Amino acid sequence: MASIVLDALGLKCPQPILQIAIKAKELQPGDMLEILADCPSFPVDIKAWCERTGRTLLFCATEGDGKHKAQVQF
Amino acid sequence: MGKVAFICNGCENENIYPAFVLASAAVASGDDVTIFFTPPAVPALKPGYLESMTGKGMPDMCDLLEGVMALGGRMMLCELGLEAFEVTAEDLRDDIDIGGATSFMASIQDAKTTFSF
Repeated sequence: MASIVLDALGLKCPQPILQIAIKAKELQPGDMLEILADCPSFPVDIKAWCERTGRTLLFCATEGDGKHKAQVQF
Repeated sequence: MGKVAFICNGCENENIYPAFVLASAAVASGDDVTIFFTPPAVPALKPGYLESMTGKGMPDMCDLLEGVMALGGRMMLCELGLEAFEVTAEDLRDDIDIGGATSFMASIQDAKTTFSF
């Protein structure tokens, strides 16, 4: 199982989700993806994306300065 | 997942950006996406035009475009645009299909969602 970090800081909606979907093509079931993002809609968008694509959102936390960190299990 | 069709009716930011922002979100979520360009959008399909688009507060158009294409999105130009703008397929970007209304309608006949900008 791989654990990968995707830095999407500075990217605007919907770029973080787009980057995640591109990265998802090379991930295997069980892999863990940690995403850093600061676009305001990210917490809601990552939840919706995980629900729609059947991935597990382990957490999405706001770390101050508008930065969010999320972890998704593939 | 669903099928989504976007129609772009011009080459201004208001025609292109919403289509690519929503198309990006759709392909990222596993939707089958087609962006169909009507004749007034022909200038936007000259090589490099889309890549050069910018807008205050807008995401990077190159990233959206690359993402849409990398995730299987399709761009199609109405063939009527060629004569209307006196261009040939060689004058336009090479990642676009040129087709007729009937094939476009056939390809999206089971689309659940359509947008026109």
